[in-house]
Amino acid sequence: MIFSYNLLKSFFKKKFPKPKELSEILTMKAFECEEPQKVGADFALNVDVLPNRPDCYSHFGLAREISVLINKKAKFPKWKLKEERKAKVEDFIKIKKQNVDSSICKRYCARVIFNVKVEESPKWLKDYLTICGFLPINNVVDITNFVMIYLGQPLHAFDFEKIEGKEIKVRWAKKGEKILTLDEETYELDEKIAIISDKEKPIAIAGIKGGKDSGISEKTEIVVLESANFEKSAILSSTRKLDLKTEASKRFEHGIPLSLAPFALDFAAYLLQKIAKGKIAKGKINILWEKERKKLVKFDSKKICQVLGVEISESQQLKILESLGFKKVKNNFLEIPDFRKDIVEIEDLAEEVGRVYGYEKIKPSFPKITLTFPEKDIQILWEREIKDILKSIGFVEVMNYSFLPEKAISLFGIPSQIVVRVKNPATFEFEFLRPTLLYRILENVKKNLPYFSEIKIFEIGKIFFRKNEEIVERNTLSGVITGEKFLELKGYLDTLFSKLGILNFWFDFYQSEPEILKEKLWNRIKCAEIKAGDEKLGIFGEISKDVLEYFKVQVPVFAFEIDLEKLMKVMKKEHEFKPYSFYPAIIRDISIICPQRTLTDEILQILENCGGENLVDVDLIDIYDIDEERKSLTFRLLFQHKERAIEPKEVEELMKKIFKEVEKNPYFEIRK
Amino acid sequence: MILKKEKAKILRKIKAAKSLKELEEFFKEAQKEIKNFTQKLKKLSLKQRKKVGREINLLKEKIEKEYLAKKEILKEKEEKKEEFFDITVPPKKIEIGSLHPITLVKNKVEEIFQSLGFEIVLGSEIEDEWHNFDALNIPPDHPARDVLSLGKTFYLENQKLMRSHTSSVQIRYMEKHNPPLKIVAPGKVFRKDAIDATHEIEFWQLEGLMVDKGISVSNFKAIMEEFLRKFFEKEMKMRLRPSYFPFTEPSFEVDISCVICNGKGCQTCKETGWIESGGAGMVHPQVLRNCKIDPREWQGFAFGMGLTRLAMLKYKIPDIRYFNSGDLRFLKQF
Repeated sequence: MIFSYNLLKSFFKKKFPKPKELSEILTMKAFECEEPQKVGADFALNVDVLPNRPDCYSHFGLAREISVLINKKAKFPKWKLKEERKAKVEDFIKIKKQNVDSSICKRYCARVIFNVKVEESPKWLKDYLTICGFLPINNVVDITNFVMIYLGQPLHAFDFEKIEGKEIKVRWAKKGEKILTLDEETYELDEKIAIISDKEKPIAIAGIKGGKDSGISEKTEIVVLESANFEKSAILSSTRKLDLKTEASKRFEHGIPLSLAPFALDFAAYLLQKIAKGKIAKGKINILWEKERKKLVKFDSKKICQVLGVEISESQQLKILESLGFKKVKNNFLEIPDFRKDIVEIEDLAEEVGRVYGYEKIKPSFPKITLTFPEKDIQILWEREIKDILKSIGFVEVMNYSFLPEKAISLFGIPSQIVVRVKNPATFEFEFLRPTLLYRILENVKKNLPYFSEIKIFEIGKIFFRKNEEIVERNTLSGVITGEKFLELKGYLDTLFSKLGILNFWFDFYQSEPEILKEKLWNRIKCAEIKAGDEKLGIFGEISKDVLEYFKVQVPVFAFEIDLEKLMKVMKKEHEFKPYSFYPAIIRDISIICPQRTLTDEILQILENCGGENLVDVDLIDIYDIDEERKSLTFRLLFQHKERAIEPKEVEELMKKIFKEVEKNPYFEIRK
Repeated sequence: MILKKEKAKILRKIKAAKSLKELEEFFKEAQKEIKNFTQKLKKLSLKQRKKVGREINLLKEKIEKEYLAKKEILKEKEEKKEEFFDITVPPKKIEIGSLHPITLVKNKVEEIFQSLGFEIVLGSEIEDEWHNFDALNIPPDHPARDVLSLGKTFYLENQKLMRSHTSSVQIRYMEKHNPPLKIVAPGKVFRKDAIDATHEIEFWQLEGLMVDKGISVSNFKAIMEEFLRKFFEKEMKMRLRPSYFPFTEPSFEVDISCVICNGKGCQTCKETGWIESGGAGMVHPQVLRNCKIDPREWQGFAFGMGLTRLAMLKYKIPDIRYFNSGDLRFLKQF
């Protein structure tokens, strides 16, 4: 909220801090305040009044706060109201208590001022309003706005002649009612919107905005001035329904003391008399449904010291609280001033004492507490481990948005019933929660391809999907590598799993995806399931041509997506040392010609079965196509004995056994 | 005599050798020739044999002498040649991976708080209204609820939502654990906002909570100062300003001396020398009660910091949009 420095200063007789100094005091002890801006002979102070302090949404309220912070008295200027003897307010207007709905309004005050001359406001009034961000309109409207920023009470002025039946009601609107407001907007009303009406029709949206018809015009001579206390809940109901907030509604939403309405009304009437030459009808409407109850809070100076962690004497604490308007009553209870609705319990008092005393005077001290040892979360440790391994084999970590456009769902062929939609997305680009990390990762590929010859990236993050009517959130690991690199990626995954101590992982033929089907994402020919024992951990393989085409990526891309929670279940915390032989090894190569469609695994099985425990390592060192039907696979075999040097004779025996076994298959042939 | 022509040829060759390798080759050839000559001696008469034999021996000596002399010269020459090496050739590119700056900052922050005895706690990104709002003392008719919920929170079906702060983790933890409590919870949070240089719809926060007997504002100051010193690896000034959060009382804004200008005043800190690092306060008694903890017995502090903001300050990253950009030119720098 913007305040006028001069208007604040007008509450103080004695020396008042300079604008810059004042903004610093406010920032450190109450509310953040921007650098004061010079406007003519005045300064505009933009003060970020905290939402629990609506008592400072006015110059009077903020001056009261400042007086505590600078330890100087703030005084309200002297003024006196002169009422006409002959004309009474009741002669003009009727407001019955039963016509003021107590669920909307707890206090309704009004005065009638006649013989008003509507014209331009004097310069001082226009200047104050302008600096605080209000557009001067005419003296009557300007006075209501001024009283709001001066005292914090929103007011409304009606043209008496336009009030049908000379009657005012405060009620909930009926469905079908409409109102044209001062700013020429038409609003459709209903039972959730609180209004002021005359005998027949709405004349204002209660506490929010006035109607155009009943508004003040140049022809207005008799003004009905309303000063009411509308209920927070009623105002919230209206503002939500209409999606309309005003300076007035903001103040009612936060709460205003009941005592302010008649005071502000009288002050506004006084100004109308002084500035607009109006005559004030005798008496005022003052309907009160409920009196403000005095509220008490228990005062405990020890607890305050304990919360703040500093010794402040009881008398010093009381001095601070009394300056803020608290009154000491018996039994160590304090009476809370009616404008401080935010104060409820002792912790609230601790804040008041702490900030006025000065947080900077509280010295840091380490807590004296029970010694406990933090538990280490396994998930955090594993996640770090996985990231470190991937980094060490050349992958760059990315972090992407958790939201996807609808296009991603159809592109990947994900069933729409498992996807979770955001009700109020930021934009359509962010409409669904991601059921896969790969859409954004492929976007990353597209974006980076112009600058890098190879891209190797990964992400760890949550994916979201619907399962049995519940929304599931699952930690997931995904990544890609560009280029025709099936075997490389398989190798990276192999290294990752081995380093994580997963002993029983293997790659199986692609059959279906665990949990989330992405029908159109994979090239199913070059695609494999990642398993540990029988459990499917994830998928890796080539991204389909259609998807790559959509991203306009012209190189092959190989990707993986792994359920991190399943992966963590099979990881082993401790590595066990595997003993190895110290004796010399003998190496033999073997080339086998076989049909193109033979699985390497089939031959590996034969080699390993025949080789037995002395065959310690098998590497596929060459694959080449002989013709359309046949290929040649070359393996390098490493033979070693655990306890002694292996004899060449033994190796020859094993090789013979292997040859024999391989040639049992009529389609296999040993190349010699 | 027969040797004259041959002799001259051999010596000439050795003298003309251009490299040590060539010299060795020629020397071997020469030795072969000598062997040939020696073998031919057998065919000659004794007298001639003596004469030619002497000649051969002389030649042998001469060759060896020439060879050694030439070797010295060439060695020196080649060593000199090796003395030059261009180290200014650009290096071969060695590719290793890298971790996201958020991960690096998160790891560091976690390590510091663990060393101070805090436990790291994880929470889910989808929350319900109770844990994101109500339990944190933000009931439906609270003005702050509108600001946080309607304007800034992403809603899903069945009143579920994407958490708009990590404070929800506090509640989840306190519901399950009895004090004393010392936790930090890093995590992603989601806010509906227009994305620009300082606003994101998805960013990282760190929540901290310490509840025990007699934990005070003074204790919070000590823990926070220690953290800042360890994180920025230098002495850091810190100040508390009054603020308002429904879930803490008293509440503060935590300012730290500007890391860019060390408090002298610059663009980043708008010439004030201070930058906001997060919000904090003493856990509101109502929040404790909501989690069935007696506020007369236990008290403590809670704080929230932007991990993304810490990363921006630490690495001097001027625009928040880099973090979710997936741009390798950015990511490979870490």
